[in-house]
Amino acid sequence: MPHVYQQPPLKASRELYEGKDPTATVYIMESSGGMVAGDRNDITVKLAPDSSVRLVQQSALKIYPSHTGDTCLFTINVDLGERARLEWMPEVIIPFADAKFQVDTTLRIARDATVLWGEIIAPGREKRGEIFDYVSFRSNFKIFVEDELIAFDSLHFSPKEAAPDEIGVLEGAMYIGSIWLVSPNAAEVDVRSLQETLRVEEGLKAGMTRLEGNAIHCRWLAVDQWTMQEEMKRVYALLAEMV
Amino acid sequence: MKQLKEDSNNHSNTVDTPTDLALLRLFQIHDSAFPIGSYTQSYGMETYIQEDVIRTKEDLTAYCTSFLFHNLVRGDAILIQEAYAAARERDIERLLYLEQLCGAMKLAKESREASVNLGRQFIKTVSPLGTDNFLVEWKNRIDSKEIKGHYAILYGIYSATTGVSAHHAVMTYLFASLNGLVQNAVRAVPFGQTTGVQAMYELIEQVTEAAELVSTLTEDDISNNALGIELASMKHEYLYSRLFIS
Repeated sequence: MPHVYQQPPLKASRELYEGKDPTATVYIMESSGGMVAGDRNDITVKLAPDSSVRLVQQSALKIYPSHTGDTCLFTINVDLGERARLEWMPEVIIPFADAKFQVDTTLRIARDATVLWGEIIAPGREKRGEIFDYVSFRSNFKIFVEDELIAFDSLHFSPKEAAPDEIGVLEGAMYIGSIWLVSPNAAEVDVRSLQETLRVEEGLKAGMTRLEGNAIHCRWLAVDQWTMQEEMKRVYALLAEMV
Repeated sequence: MKQLKEDSNNHSNTVDTPTDLALLRLFQIHDSAFPIGSYTQSYGMETYIQEDVIRTKEDLTAYCTSFLFHNLVRGDAILIQEAYAAARERDIERLLYLEQLCGAMKLAKESREASVNLGRQFIKTVSPLGTDNFLVEWKNRIDSKEIKGHYAILYGIYSATTGVSAHHAVMTYLFASLNGLVQNAVRAVPFGQTTGVQAMYELIEQVTEAAELVSTLTEDDISNNALGIELASMKHEYLYSRLFIS
């Protein structure tokens, strides 16, 4: 890792290697315990050509109540050079009661680079009965391959104004899971076969589709976090192996 | 006083009344017989029908209301409004950007392809009518594969060249989209024609409300909260028997 610039509460670990695997694993830590009322976190990651990195969030991202009314902002910008490979292991974003949060994620990828990216959004501290008690949650997620925008996923929930449980929206689900894969080898992934292996049961819905270019998207809606997370881990590992 | 407030909030009192010619041309392109293939698309609704989630008129209106406010209003309708404004300014850069955005936000493959198929059929049908050179120029971009040709953007451009207001363009698009879904549900569930007519009659008030809402929104308000519909659209690709393309 040639350059690391960091400012508390965000911190990046040194790079770690598993055996002879050239993939550098870097842990991203957040020492404050969570974001509160207008806090702003920025993460910029640049991967040099031919590099291979696995980024791991150390823990769930907690968004505390916005006692000032200000929105917490999280910006993630990622640039992948030629033939670079990045895996971002998903951790859960938990907006507490009265939280206001916006995350803007932009991935810019060279045409022959590979990225595998996950995201999990919780309805709040479910076990404490805090379910969709936040004020607002907004996520703008964009993937550019070279200069072409191939995916724009924008979620904006304000549960106090409109309950998200109706038909067509979350339909009683509480957790939203997403996996994004962009890879020059994505065309070789048999999406139909993978789709057929997706675990679907009462309280767990899943879908998989091809995006423009060499990209695949999987989405889950779930009542139970752990069931969904286990399934996401399985699919994530499968996709990582395939590309 | 209440009446006065309601009147001042009613968009139809403040936007230009379209000319008879513009109005009839709008009717023509939204006629169910207009050959762009909207009767072949369910945008995921067929998955709900096969899973027995849409069985009654109430289920259908609930589904259509959700599709209206969480999908159309926060997606295509905003793009139509933005494309309309950009076309009036002949702002090609902006239109090219909106075209890309329209494709990028349709994550489910079938919905994205439906948008392109309808768009291409639409421009193929309207461009020989000689409405406007700008529209022909846009068709050339599709023919030369510079752009895909998403329906919402082409419809926004077309509307800007025909003399209707953005408000009426959006409102009739919303109406026609829901009407298409209702007609398709009548065939697929199936419902009687009377049930379909009643469902659409009930949805009309929400269409006007939705059109009012769109006029207050901008590109920053685009969102995709209709995740259930999106999942249904993804699953539709793998249904064993299907009446509709999406």
